[in-house]
Amino acid sequence: MAKDLKPLELEMSCDPEMMLLRKMVYAVLSEMHKMLAFVRLKPFGSYALYGYLKPRHRIGAYVCDHFARRNPGTMIMLGNSRESWISLLSGGKIRHDHCDGLPHILDRLKSGTEDRDESEKAEEIWKVYYDSQYSSERRNMALFQSRMPKRYLKCAGVGLERNQCDTSLFDFVLNE
Amino acid sequence: MKIFLSHRLAVLQLESQILSSCILKYFIQSAFSNNIMVNLEKIAHLAKESRFDSMGPEASVDAEKLGALGSATKHDVCASTFSPRSPALPGICHSFTRDGRCVSLFKTLYTNHCTHQCNYCINASGCSSRGKIFSYSPEELANITISLYRSNYIEGLFLSSGSGRNEDTIMEKMIETARLLREKYCFQGYIHLKVLPGASRSHIGEAMELSDRVSVNLEAATASFMSEICATKDYEIDILQRQRYIRDLMSKINLPAGQTTQIVVGAGLESDFEIFKRVLLEYSEIGVSRTYFSAFCPQKGTAFEGRKPQPLWREHRLYQMDWLYRIYHFHHRELDFAFDEQGFLSNSDPKMAIARELMDSPVDPRSASYQELIRVPGIGPKSAQRIMALRQKEGSLGKAELASLGVRIKRASPFLKINGWRDSTLEMWSS
Repeated sequence: MAKDLKPLELEMSCDPEMMLLRKMVYAVLSEMHKMLAFVRLKPFGSYALYGYLKPRHRIGAYVCDHFARRNPGTMIMLGNSRESWISLLSGGKIRHDHCDGLPHILDRLKSGTEDRDESEKAEEIWKVYYDSQYSSERRNMALFQSRMPKRYLKCAGVGLERNQCDTSLFDFVLNE
Repeated sequence: MKIFLSHRLAVLQLESQILSSCILKYFIQSAFSNNIMVNLEKIAHLAKESRFDSMGPEASVDAEKLGALGSATKHDVCASTFSPRSPALPGICHSFTRDGRCVSLFKTLYTNHCTHQCNYCINASGCSSRGKIFSYSPEELANITISLYRSNYIEGLFLSSGSGRNEDTIMEKMIETARLLREKYCFQGYIHLKVLPGASRSHIGEAMELSDRVSVNLEAATASFMSEICATKDYEIDILQRQRYIRDLMSKINLPAGQTTQIVVGAGLESDFEIFKRVLLEYSEIGVSRTYFSAFCPQKGTAFEGRKPQPLWREHRLYQMDWLYRIYHFHHRELDFAFDEQGFLSNSDPKMAIARELMDSPVDPRSASYQELIRVPGIGPKSAQRIMALRQKEGSLGKAELASLGVRIKRASPFLKINGWRDSTLEMWSS
């Protein structure tokens, strides 16, 4: 029944069961959209990128494929301690794998010569840049928290903005 | 009963997963039809082989420069990352600041060296608190952009600049940055280049070929207001003429996300009505995709330091008016009713104000047209479409049904005739 349904029908329907279905579909699509936005990748050697992902719905493979398409020729590894997804776009085709825990597969691939320091550069640049974009006249914590809900940040393993969220002593001292 | 319900829920959840995966496939325009399951080590081997070393040396971080040139663009409010090309770039917000605004682009000045004297700007040549002068090189900027893009912090680059000693030289550098990104690093993300006031037509054309969107900032509503806020820019020649160049070149060059512009609200003394008149001209004569509004904030050391900061709701109400014109297709004569006698908007919903003035008889949801339905406060395009769809199925349209369709019943019911009955008279609202 679900496969015969067209997106437009789902959107416009007023039947209670369809509305429930619509809410659920939107929840899945919403998490998909947020994961594409919040997942952060770090370089692994020069041929791969890895990142943390622990989605509530079964969207791991889609998210991984999306990043594989954006970075052709680069292996993308996303996952958490329980499961992980790997994708690579090469020669016009996407190759997948679905494995257990991310730390485990990173160990399998490490040949001992990878230089880990390089991966921190992007994060440093981002920290400075992110801070420069804040405009204290427009401070609106409620809007910030609704747009970066904690549950999605946890699923994507994003730490930076959450730390900014907690008021520190400096917030009171410097009156920012 | 409980087991039956939980079973039903489980089935529905599974159906929603299937459905959303079908919908995702519908939306993800994948050019590749083969997805293959392959072992991890083989994938790693393939990735190492297909390595083409397009990454230059890792970007080094000059935090002071990054911070100064980044923060100078925070009043340039365009944050769109959507570009309708194929494959389409959907709008994704990678992060938000503590003021709730999206940070999804690497927004920066190429250089903060500027010879203009805009009275609201900290980089103006007459500003007493002007800081150190910084500048990027095209390679540096491209490197930083690519590092951030690979790590999924940004969708693309937003590049503006001070005019330097000569705006054509700076435009060349900005164009070179975009060219490095597109050609050397094969960057497929979003690029928004600012056209500097007074830039040459050929540079504008080159910028348009490499980017998704270009813009020139109007800053003021008319030439006379411009002369108050900036003595060195000529409104007609430096700004409007450049916008016309972009408009003319768009017939030859594909610019997926079009042209936009920005007006500073409250730096000069123009009324909201005068700003809106300029906005309408921009849409009809120049054909911009969107106009943006940036509330004026006085900066220390600038000539306008003592002026009052503008309340953010003024910007918000102007965006609502812009939405009513562009998305709801209100006629500009209807929109005139939202302004008061001095030409300013009040801090209340303009659609409600217009509806109170113009609606003299209640709307029947069973027979009204789409245009009439969306003019009711509490009914937007989606709800109106759902009402029209339900009408075809000949369902009843009582209060409960309308509320489940997404209509805000509290706001809408004074204007609606539901099932032949009026809920309350319009007289209650026209006080």
